[in-house]
Amino acid sequence: MTQFFQQVINGLSIGSVYALMAVGYSLVYSIMNFSNFAHGGVIMLGAYFGFFSLTLLHLPFLAAFLLASIGTTILAIVVERIAYKPLRERKAPFLYFIISAMGASILLENIVIATIGPTFRTYPEVFARTPISIGPLAIGRLDLLMFVISAVCLTALILFIEKTKMGKAIQAAAYNIKACALMGINTDKVILIVFGLGGFLAGVAGVFFGMKYTVYPQIGNITTKSFIAAVFGGLGSLPGAVLGSVILGILETFVAGYLSSQYRDLIAFVILIGVLIIRPSGIMGKNTEDKA
Amino acid sequence: MKRALFVLVLVLSIALVGCAGSAKSDTIKVGWFGALTGDQAVWGENEFNTVKMLFEEYNNAGGIEVGGKKYKLEAIGYDNKGDAQEAVNVVKRLTGQDKVVAILGPNASGNAIPIAPVLEQAKVPDIATVATNPKVTVLDGKVKPYNFRVCFIDPYQGAVAAGYAYDRLNDSKAAILYDVSDDYSQGLREFFKANFEKKGGTIVADESFNGGDVDFRPQLSKIKAANPDIIFMPYFFKEVALSANQARELGIKTTLMGGDGWPSDQLISMGGKSVEGSYFVNHLDYADPAVQDYKARYKAKYGKETELNGYLVHDAVLLLVAGLQKAGKVNGEALAKALEGIQVQGITGMINISPETHNPEGKDAAIIKIVDGQYVFQEKYAAK
Repeated sequence: MTQFFQQVINGLSIGSVYALMAVGYSLVYSIMNFSNFAHGGVIMLGAYFGFFSLTLLHLPFLAAFLLASIGTTILAIVVERIAYKPLRERKAPFLYFIISAMGASILLENIVIATIGPTFRTYPEVFARTPISIGPLAIGRLDLLMFVISAVCLTALILFIEKTKMGKAIQAAAYNIKACALMGINTDKVILIVFGLGGFLAGVAGVFFGMKYTVYPQIGNITTKSFIAAVFGGLGSLPGAVLGSVILGILETFVAGYLSSQYRDLIAFVILIGVLIIRPSGIMGKNTEDKA
Repeated sequence: MKRALFVLVLVLSIALVGCAGSAKSDTIKVGWFGALTGDQAVWGENEFNTVKMLFEEYNNAGGIEVGGKKYKLEAIGYDNKGDAQEAVNVVKRLTGQDKVVAILGPNASGNAIPIAPVLEQAKVPDIATVATNPKVTVLDGKVKPYNFRVCFIDPYQGAVAAGYAYDRLNDSKAAILYDVSDDYSQGLREFFKANFEKKGGTIVADESFNGGDVDFRPQLSKIKAANPDIIFMPYFFKEVALSANQARELGIKTTLMGGDGWPSDQLISMGGKSVEGSYFVNHLDYADPAVQDYKARYKAKYGKETELNGYLVHDAVLLLVAGLQKAGKVNGEALAKALEGIQVQGITGMINISPETHNPEGKDAAIIKIVDGQYVFQEKYAAK
């Protein structure tokens, strides 16, 4: 029984990394209807920003954390302006956006390889490795902090979307961006805000990923899993992205913990595909044709 | 006219050199090859320098006695640029043109594997230095007649680790975490498991991960529940550091153990306190008293420190000389026969060439412990 609860904790810990990444995908998808694969590259750079803020600038943890997130917010906006805005203005098909996104992702990865180098780096130890013990269960200090900060960020994001005027505009744009523009909403600004929010979360995710594991140019690859979690939860739905991520994290942990890690991806994804066959729009996805 | 004269001189000089070679029959020609340019040049240069130094020392002492006759040793070295195709070419040149009696090197398994057919045709044995892949000497269960080596093979480390854990650390319950997508890791795990169980220990958890994974908590939680005395982690330093950190985060205080994929500056910087007190298996330790004499001689002659390769090529030379003396004649075929079953005390350990595998069976490995962020040599240890 102890093992069961320990594995649930492990699953939540992995799931919360996926969740931070998945929300960024879902946000952009809800407005733009395409998967922003450059998000992985932004997360990777967030990890580097955090690393250099701590090691080169010797900033305290919270300052480094904020600096990295502001850095990725700007980066995500820059990516939007360079890679997507010209396509939007020409009303290009969505396939072109996906290709442009992949291009941006490869570009970011290779810029890092060329400038910073391909070797991985390690964050200085900000939090002690000794766990907090509750009976026989062990909870990592970093995991706990990550869980709290993720929850705060995601709640703030949902409140922003539900309660503010700009949030209403985002909701409206997610419903129908063309109609929004006709109603006098500055959709260009909405898109900018959405990318900025996604970028901020990418910074949070990147710093946590770097602290939890290590920093290397291919971090972006791990976001494939979080993208799948976002699809599973229902692309375009923020609570769905979080739920999908947590389920994927726990599913993976249980397969690896109780069966074998060789079957982890196989079984986890067979279950995901099964769910999508029954509910093509994901667990909490909106059931509209154009959002499939 | 000038050109004709030049050709004539050239032909004459070649003939003269040829005559000189045959007249000077008291010299044994030994080939060496490896990378003298490119990424691995540091190791190649180190090996060839060591060979030249040792040959010079033998010659200054009057040469070596083979079959009641004194011979001088001559080293002929070629650069294969670390390239497998070039390895075949230089071996053809050494055997066909230079008529060497044996070849030393190379250090890389990828260069040592393809030369077998050339060696077999020319009947010239080769002694590889740090080529640890099992396929260097044995292919499809059959031993290659002219390939030998002085280093232990990858899977052997697993057996050494198991023996050391059970006999020296008195651990009877071991857990294994290994990379299922890597041959090296699988080999080490297999031999660790077999040897540990043979000695009477139990493997309480045998968990795997896939290459590229960064989270090992599910597997480690399972290992924690099994409550082992030691956790064997036969993979490379990046995953070692990550899994060690995660193990500590889960409250696992068990001693960790690994193979020669561990030593790296990165391991200490990434793993920090998590790998403190861990053990791993290596080919040798630079602080081992047995290697100090060679180390000092090399530094005195070349003005720089020797690398890992130098120690192993040193023992390859010892093996060659012992082989020639045992054969009693200067002949590649006789030398290859003599090397089978030969026993030589090298500076990297006792080298006991098995006729079945042409590997130094039961060779001593160095056991290293991580103490205060330093690699500290414990003892030499062989799997029995």
